[in-house]
Amino acid sequence: MKKFVALLLALTLCLSAFVFTASAEVADVKLGVILLHDENSTYDLNFINGVNDAVKALGLSEEQVIMKRNIPESQECTDAALDLADEGCTIIFANSFGHETYLIDAAKQCPDVQFCHATGTKAHTEGLSNYHNAFAAIYEGRYLAGVAAGLKLNELKDAGLLKGEKPLMGYVGAFTYAEVISGYTSFYLGAKSVCPDVEMKVQFTGSWYDYAEEKNAATALIAANCDLISQHADSMGAPSACEDANIPNVSYNGSTVESCPNTFIVASRIDWAPYFQYIVNQVAAGEAIDTDWTGTIETGSVVLTAVNEKAAAAGTVAKLDEVKAALQAGTVKVFDTATEGFITVEGAALNSYIADVDDLGDYVPETEVVADGYFHESEYRSAPYFDVKIDGIELLNQMF
Amino acid sequence: MEKKIALSMRGITKRFGSVVANHNVDLDVYEGEILSILGGNGCGKTTLMNMISGIYFPDEGKIFKNGEEVVIRSPKDAFDLRIGMIHQHFKLVDLFTAAENIVLGINEKGQHNMKSVNSRVAQIAEKYGFHIDPQKKIYDMSVSEKQTVEIIKVLYRGADILILDEPTAVLTPQEIERLFEVLRRMKADGKSIIIITHKLHEVLSVSDRVAILRKGEHIATVDTCDATESSLTEMMVGKKVTLDIDRSEPVNVQLRLEVKELNCIDSEGIQVLKDITFTANSGEILGIAGIAGSGQKELLEAIAGLQPIASGQIIFNNPKKDKPVTFFHKSMYRVKELAAQDAFHDKEGKPMRLKGMSNAQIRAQVAAENVLFREDEVMNLRGKTPLEIRSLGVRLSFVPEDRLGMGLVGSMGITDNMMLRSYRKGHGGFVDRKKPKALAEDIIKELEVSTPGVNTPVRRLSGGNVQKVLVGREIAFAPKVLMAAYPVRGLDINSSYTIYNLLNKQKQNGVAVIFVGEDLDVLLALCDRIMVINSGKITGMVDARSATKEEIGLLMTQTEAPTKEVAQ
Amino acid sequence: MSEQKKTAAHEPLFHLAKRSSVNPVAAMGIRLAAIVLGLLVCGLVAFALIEKLQNNPGKIGDFYYSFIKGSFTSERKLWKFLKNMAVLQCISLAVTPAFRMRFWNIGAEGQTLMGVLGAITMAFYFGGKVPEWQLLIMMFIAALIYGAVWAVIPALFKAKWNTNETLFTLMMNYVATYVVSYFLVIWVPSGSSTLGKLKFGKLPPLPFGNQYLLIILISLALTIFLFIYLKYSKQGYEISVVGESIRTAQYSGINVKKVIIRTMVVSGLLCGLAGFIIGAGLDQSVTTESVGGQGFTAIIVSWLANFNPLFMIVTSALISLLNSGAAQISQDFNVSGALPDVIVGIILFFIIGCEFFINYKFVFRHKETGKGAAK
Repeated sequence: MKKFVALLLALTLCLSAFVFTASAEVADVKLGVILLHDENSTYDLNFINGVNDAVKALGLSEEQVIMKRNIPESQECTDAALDLADEGCTIIFANSFGHETYLIDAAKQCPDVQFCHATGTKAHTEGLSNYHNAFAAIYEGRYLAGVAAGLKLNELKDAGLLKGEKPLMGYVGAFTYAEVISGYTSFYLGAKSVCPDVEMKVQFTGSWYDYAEEKNAATALIAANCDLISQHADSMGAPSACEDANIPNVSYNGSTVESCPNTFIVASRIDWAPYFQYIVNQVAAGEAIDTDWTGTIETGSVVLTAVNEKAAAAGTVAKLDEVKAALQAGTVKVFDTATEGFITVEGAALNSYIADVDDLGDYVPETEVVADGYFHESEYRSAPYFDVKIDGIELLNQMF
Repeated sequence: MEKKIALSMRGITKRFGSVVANHNVDLDVYEGEILSILGGNGCGKTTLMNMISGIYFPDEGKIFKNGEEVVIRSPKDAFDLRIGMIHQHFKLVDLFTAAENIVLGINEKGQHNMKSVNSRVAQIAEKYGFHIDPQKKIYDMSVSEKQTVEIIKVLYRGADILILDEPTAVLTPQEIERLFEVLRRMKADGKSIIIITHKLHEVLSVSDRVAILRKGEHIATVDTCDATESSLTEMMVGKKVTLDIDRSEPVNVQLRLEVKELNCIDSEGIQVLKDITFTANSGEILGIAGIAGSGQKELLEAIAGLQPIASGQIIFNNPKKDKPVTFFHKSMYRVKELAAQDAFHDKEGKPMRLKGMSNAQIRAQVAAENVLFREDEVMNLRGKTPLEIRSLGVRLSFVPEDRLGMGLVGSMGITDNMMLRSYRKGHGGFVDRKKPKALAEDIIKELEVSTPGVNTPVRRLSGGNVQKVLVGREIAFAPKVLMAAYPVRGLDINSSYTIYNLLNKQKQNGVAVIFVGEDLDVLLALCDRIMVINSGKITGMVDARSATKEEIGLLMTQTEAPTKEVAQ
Repeated sequence: MSEQKKTAAHEPLFHLAKRSSVNPVAAMGIRLAAIVLGLLVCGLVAFALIEKLQNNPGKIGDFYYSFIKGSFTSERKLWKFLKNMAVLQCISLAVTPAFRMRFWNIGAEGQTLMGVLGAITMAFYFGGKVPEWQLLIMMFIAALIYGAVWAVIPALFKAKWNTNETLFTLMMNYVATYVVSYFLVIWVPSGSSTLGKLKFGKLPPLPFGNQYLLIILISLALTIFLFIYLKYSKQGYEISVVGESIRTAQYSGINVKKVIIRTMVVSGLLCGLAGFIIGAGLDQSVTTESVGGQGFTAIIVSWLANFNPLFMIVTSALISLLNSGAAQISQDFNVSGALPDVIVGIILFFIIGCEFFINYKFVFRHKETGKGAAK
C-alpha cells in the first residue's frame, strides 16, 4: 500500500515536473541551503519544510536543491557556501543569524551567485548587489496569537478562574534581542487589544534551544501566578510544562496540539516557502531580489496554525479572522502609538523612537521609526528592530 | 595399597602470545597425597594450576577427574568438580567477617544461616587443626589468619583437591610448620593437596612427591624420599649448580650509615617505623629479616628519601677525602700551626710540614693545591628528596622490592631504564642516550641478560632478567651504600646466585650492603649481621655466622627487643 | 562414546588466545579489514535508513563514493580537508603530553575555546587601535595564556589536593562555554549574542598557495616539534616515567607535581595555539561552538595513534576524511544530520574494536577434538 502511494506520488511529481518544465528558466536555477542544525531543531525543520514546499510548488527536480546541514556560524559557513557555488548553485541561502558575516564573505568572492540570508541585518548597508536579507512580519502573527490569548484570559476572568486579580501572562524568551522583544511585545499588545488590563512577565533563558531551561522558566512563571504562557524558544520545554500544570499555552513555530491536547490554543509561525519561491522565480526571470524582503500575511509568510477548540475561548476563530482582515487592510496597526494608553513607556506615550536599523557593528541607533501614529517595524529593513520596553511587561531577568 | 588417581592432565599446552607457558604437560595427582610443584620463576607452575582451577583454558590437552574427562571453563566449574585453589594474593573482603567471606558466592536459596555456617566452620577447623574465629573481621587478621580463611573457604565448598600457590612466602617459620601440620591432616583425610613453591627444604619436609617443571615442561615427578636438595635443583635448572654462597670476611669495616631513632608515620596515620637505630658499615652485608610488611620497605624508602620521616636522623658518612687547603678557610698562621701538627699531607700521602718554607712558597704550594688534608663528610639525609641526596654526592643505590612499579619503567627498553637516575646529566634540554646505551649493552653482556635487544620493553623480560637489569644499573652507579629489598624474590636458583655473587662482590669492594630477604637460609649464608624487625621495631641484631634459623624466627614474631645486648 | 559426546557439549565453542607475535603488516591488514567491514556495515545501515537507497539500490556506489567526494573532488574540498585535519591535529597534539603522562585531560575542548576567546578578546578591544601585526602578537599571547591557565587550574588542584582530573577538566569545559556566553552578552548589546566576523585580527595567508596553507604548515611544524619534545627531551622522558608509575618517578627523583603542572601547561599552551588558529586564522569570531567538539574528537585521534604525534597525522586524516565524507552523504542523500554521526560511529567502533583482534585470536573447538582423536 505504502509502495503504491509512493509510486503514485512519484508519478504525480513527474507529471507536475513535466508541466512546470515549461518554464525553462526555473530549470536552470540551483538552490543551495545552509542550515545551522538539522531536522531535530524545530527552527531548522521550519526552513526544511519551506524548501520542500517551494520545491513542490515550483516543480524543481531533486538535483536542483542541495542542503548542507549542521553548518556552524564560523569559517565553515563560508567554506560551505563556496562549495555550493562550486557545485553550480545559483542561489545560496543560509538560515542562521550568525551565518551572516561569513555568508557576506562568500558573496564577495562569488559575484555571479545570489546570496540570501534569513534574519540578517546587514544587506541594506553592505552594498552588495548579490546579497539579500529576508524576514517576515511575524509580529503580526504574534499579535493575532495574542488576541487568542486575550480572549482566553477574558473567558477565565468571566469564569472567575484567574489566579490573581488581574489577568497575567508569562512569556519564555531567549535573549533580550530585538527579534524577541518585538515578538513578546506584539503578543502582549494582541492580548491587550481584547483584554485591556492584562499584564505580562518575561523570563529569559539565554539560549535559542534549551529544553530544560525553557521548562524551568515556564514552571517558574506558572508558580508566579501566570494564567497563560507563551514562548519564543524552540524546544517543547514550555509547552510540556504547561500541559503538566494544565495552563493554556500559545505556541510558536508550529502546532504542539499532539503533545499538548488540553492546553495548546494556537501558534504563529513563519512559512518560508513563499520566500524560496520568490527568489527562485526572480533568478529564473533574471530579475533582482529585494535587498530586504519582509514576508507578510498577504504573501503567506505569516501564518497561524489551526485553533485548538478544546483549549481556546469560544469565538476565537471568528475574532482572529476579523483582526487578520483588519491587519491586512491596514486599519489595525500592531505597534499603534496613536491610541491613547495602548503603548506607554514609563507612563508616557511613545511619539518618537530612534532605532538601530543600520547594523554597522557600532550598536548606535540612527533611524526615527515612529511616524503616522505607529512604529514602523520591519519596514526599513526586514529583521525586527523594535526593542522598546513598554509598560505592562515585567522582565524578570535581563542578564541575557 | 594401590593409590587412586584423583586428577590427571594429559598433553596440556598453554601459550601467551609468543610465550609457551606450558608445553605438553602430563601430571597425575593421587588421593591422599601432598604433591609439590617445583620450578624456577616463569616455569609455568601457576599457569598450570590456573588451568585446573578454571582461570585459564588450555590451548591443547585434556584433564581427567577420577578417570572421567572434564572441561573446566571457569572457577565455578572447578568448584563443581571439588577443586579449590588458594591464590598467592588473597581474595577476601576486608570488611566482612571470616564466616561471611567463607560463604560469599555460595549460591544457596534464601539467606545464609550464619549460626549453622559458624558451626560448620568450627567443625572444619576442629577437624584439621585450624585456629579461627569465624566472627573476626578480615582487616583485624594477620596474614596467616587470612590464609586460614582462604583454605577453609575452599574446604567449606567441599573441595577434595586443594591447590596452594606459594603458601609459605608470607609466613614465619613457626606459622609454616603449623600450616604443614594442617596439610598433613588433610592428606590423612584423603584429600589431594598440590603446593606450588620454589623452596627446596619445604618441598622435602612436607610433600610425598615432587613434580618438577622447567620452562613450561614437565621434567619429572619423583618421590620425595628419593630426592635431595641438589638432585631437585639439578632438575630445576637443568644443570648441576653449587649451592654454597661464598661468604668472605668483612674487610676495612668503616661506619657508613647511621640511623638514629627513626620514626615514620604513613599516610593513614599508622606508625610504620618505631625508634629504629642501627648502623651499616662498609665492606659488610647487613641483612634485614622480618615477616613481610614489618616495615622493611618503609625503612629502605625512608633512607632513600622516599618516605616522610616523623623524627630521627639518617647520617651518611662519606669516607675521608683529600681536600686541598685554602686560605679562604684558614689563615697563614693557622695553616702553619696545623702543618706542625702533621695535619697536612702531599699527593703521595706523605706528611707535609711546610717547615723552612717562606710565606710566599707556602702560598704557592697552597695555590697549586699540593697541600692536602683529610676530612670526613657527614651528612644528614633526613628530609632530603632523592634528587637532593644525589646532588650532595651521596652515592646511595636502591633496588626496591617493586621492580617494575618503582625501580624500572616497564614500557621502556633497557637503554631508557639506564637513564632513569641519570637522565638529567648534561646540558641542554635533550637526553643523551649514547652512554646509557653503552651501559645497557655492558650489563646485558656481563650479567647475561637475555633480551631481544636494548629497546625491548623490560616488562617483556622474565623476572630474573628484570632484576639483573635493575641491580646492574644500581651497581653501575658505583654506590657507597647499596640497599636491596628482596632482590631474589621470584628468581630461579641460577639467577638468585648471580645476584648473591653481585652483592658479595660489592661488599668486597667496600660497599655497605643492606639486604632485605625472606629466605632465612639465604640470609644466614650471605650476611654478616642480621637485623630482625617486627611491626616497625627492631627486635634483635644477630651475628649471621653464629645465629640459627629458630632464633631469628623467634625474633621475627617477638614484639619487644630482648634485653640482652645483641652481637655487633 | 557417550562420554565423548558429553565432552563435546561441555567444551566451549571457542576460547581466546593471545597472539604469539603481532606482525605489523598483519596488524595493518586487520585494521584495513576492519575499516572495510565497517564500511560494509555502514552500507547496510544506510540502506535501512535512507529511503533514496531503498528506492534505488544502484546508488550504493554513490554512497561509498561520497567518502572520496567529500574531500578530494575539488581543489577547494582538498584544502578544506587539509585545513580540518590541521586544526584537529593541533588539538590532538595538545592533549597528547598529558595523556602520555596518564593524566586524563578531557578538557581540551574548553582549553581551546578559551584560547579562541583570548585571541578574540584582544581583537575586540584593540582591533583597529593598534597595528595589525601588533594585534596579532597580542592575540597569540592572549590565546596561549588563556589556554594554559585553563589547563593549569585542574593540574594545580590535582597536585595540591589530588582531585580527579577527568571530572575536573570535563567541568572546566562547561565553565569555558559559559564564560564565552558571558562575554558575548557584554560585547553584543543588541542581545543577539552573535559577535559575527570581526574586521581586525586576521592571520594573513602566505603570499603563495592556498589561504589555509599557513595553518597546515603550523600544524606540521608543531607535529615535528612535539615528536622531538616527547621522544628526545628530558621533559619528554619525565612525562613517560610519570605516566608509567608515579612511584618510579619519585624513586628517580622526579618532582611529580612539578611535571604534572608543567605538562598541563604545555597541553594548555598547545590548546591555546589551536584556539589562536581558529580565532585568528579562521573564524575571526568566537561562539560557544567555536571548537565544535573537536576537543573530544582529538582524544580519539591521539588514542588511536597510540599517542605518537607522527601516527596522529594518519588518524587525524582518517577522522577528517570520515567526517567530511559523512557530511557529503547527508548532503547527497538529503538525510538528517544524525546519519553522519551514525556512520562515523560505526567505523570508529570497528577500528577500535579491531585492536582486540590484533592482540587475540579465537581458537575453535574442532582443533581440540582433532587433537584428542589423534591421541
